[in-house]
Amino acid sequence: MKPTLEAMRSCLDGAIPAVVATCARDGTPNVAYASQVHYVDAEHVALSYQFFSKTRENVLAHPYAQVQVIEPGSFRHFRLKLHYMRTETGGPLFEYMKAQLAGIAAQTRMDKVFMLRGADIYRVLDIESVDSHLPPAPLPSDALLSLRRTLELLGDATDLSDLADRALAALTPGFGIRHALLLMQDETGDTLYTLGSLGYPDSGIGAEVKIGEGLIGVAARERIPIRINYRTGDYTYQAAMRATNATEPRIPLPLLANPHSRIAVPLIHGGRSVGVLYAESEQDAFFSHADEDALVVYAHHLAALVAQAACESDDTEPAHIEPAARPSGAPLAVRYFAADHSVFIDNDYLIKGVAGSILWTLLNEHASNGRRDFCNRELRRDPRLPLPDFGDNLETRLILLQRRLAERCPTIALEKTGRGRFRLNVGRPLQLSA
Amino acid sequence: MSVQLTVEQAAFLQGPVSINVAAAGRDGWPQVCRAQGCVIARDRRTVTLLLSARRGRELLDALDAGSGIAAVFSRPSTHATLQLKAVRAERVTLNAALRADNGRYAQAFADELVGLGFGAELGQNLTTVMTSNDLTALRFAPEIVFDQTPGPAAGRVLATT
Repeated sequence: MKPTLEAMRSCLDGAIPAVVATCARDGTPNVAYASQVHYVDAEHVALSYQFFSKTRENVLAHPYAQVQVIEPGSFRHFRLKLHYMRTETGGPLFEYMKAQLAGIAAQTRMDKVFMLRGADIYRVLDIESVDSHLPPAPLPSDALLSLRRTLELLGDATDLSDLADRALAALTPGFGIRHALLLMQDETGDTLYTLGSLGYPDSGIGAEVKIGEGLIGVAARERIPIRINYRTGDYTYQAAMRATNATEPRIPLPLLANPHSRIAVPLIHGGRSVGVLYAESEQDAFFSHADEDALVVYAHHLAALVAQAACESDDTEPAHIEPAARPSGAPLAVRYFAADHSVFIDNDYLIKGVAGSILWTLLNEHASNGRRDFCNRELRRDPRLPLPDFGDNLETRLILLQRRLAERCPTIALEKTGRGRFRLNVGRPLQLSA
Repeated sequence: MSVQLTVEQAAFLQGPVSINVAAAGRDGWPQVCRAQGCVIARDRRTVTLLLSARRGRELLDALDAGSGIAAVFSRPSTHATLQLKAVRAERVTLNAALRADNGRYAQAFADELVGLGFGAELGQNLTTVMTSNDLTALRFAPEIVFDQTPGPAAGRVLATT
């Protein structure tokens, strides 16, 4: 039986370099190593185009190639008969290969040398199993079973805060993932902010990533999953993941210092990108092609649950107003900068943006009339808050603020009192300045 | 006329390198097959490659029909890579020395990969593949030698007739 391209995707991860044979128009053969043979779909692969090589010169003149790939773990060889179709120099496939090439380049200590100039797309005409007598590599873990287990653990959480925590926690028993982030896209569509994290000493709640920057930002911009199976020193994919203007107050992304495997999967619902699920591991080749498939399904499910939670209607009964006890102790100095809505507490940066302006508004209300019970509805109507008319992500901003306060300033707390209702608890007198 | 390989090139080609050979098939399609050992003549002007006749059936068929030959040699631990080409290759009789070379090569190459962290199981399968009992030998006199170590200088001609 002929092997299928889907069945041999593990050969296309760059673990063992592939070899590509071509012929010049006069029939002179050429044989060279290919850095990357990328699975495109059941009938196509893409080869990375990094330099104008003899291979490339040959296929442009005589568009046929034979590629030999090897299954890691078994050393079984397969030969693919290929017909060159076209070259892509931008778009999702190109970006995916660029990110993956950075990983392969670093693994082979070629990170200063490899740069993707194009993705050469080939149609696969035939696959030959050269060593059919050899036993196949041991099967990787069953990604479908992992997905099922993860979904069972996730359950049908409808509260966004609970959903964010469970979505990450379920990854450990489900997929063996120990380090992960859940990031949501902000209302401007140009930034992602961290809503939850798993397995880092600092949670990184509130840490931001610009769309298009680093692995997470590129996955969000291109709306594609990106999986890198080897450690990469490529600036674009590592350092830039944490990049923001060094002079701006910021919360660092937690992230492993030296991840060997990484995957970023966009959360897409109704054609709209709502966030990114990111996971990493200290092991090489931790995420298989099948894991990528399963995590894409998981991310779709999460995106639908996030959208559903956002549509939950708020309570309509009036807020139960409880008088606040007057706090005592040394006052907390709260400083607000209107330019970026950043809030500092006793000179330590807490938060900025929409969440910062929400906190500042709540604290001012509390200071002027002692109020501490609020509802989402009134915040949505409050002209002091920079919220758009639609898709305001208010609930996720409140969760972000609540978590950031719990971590950095537990003296001020937001307590949920119903759907779309919450209470501000202040443990010390406040000294507000702007 | 062939090029004379340098002493260093000859040592490299006979080391624990990955060897792959290509030819143009009768139908114009390129063919590729992994080789299982390399012996350089004393005068460093001819290269003898060992292949499994079954694994390399199409390639050998192409060479028998008069195709030119290209062979790439790459050391996994350093990525140092050379490509050699010639307008023809001929089959030569396998002898005990070549068989012995095949065994030596398979062991050295497996050690190289296992040393790089590839599992022992891969090493075992590699040895199975690389010591097949249907060996055939090909000899060619290289006419051009390319440096093919990955990087912008890949493709540089190191020697030509």
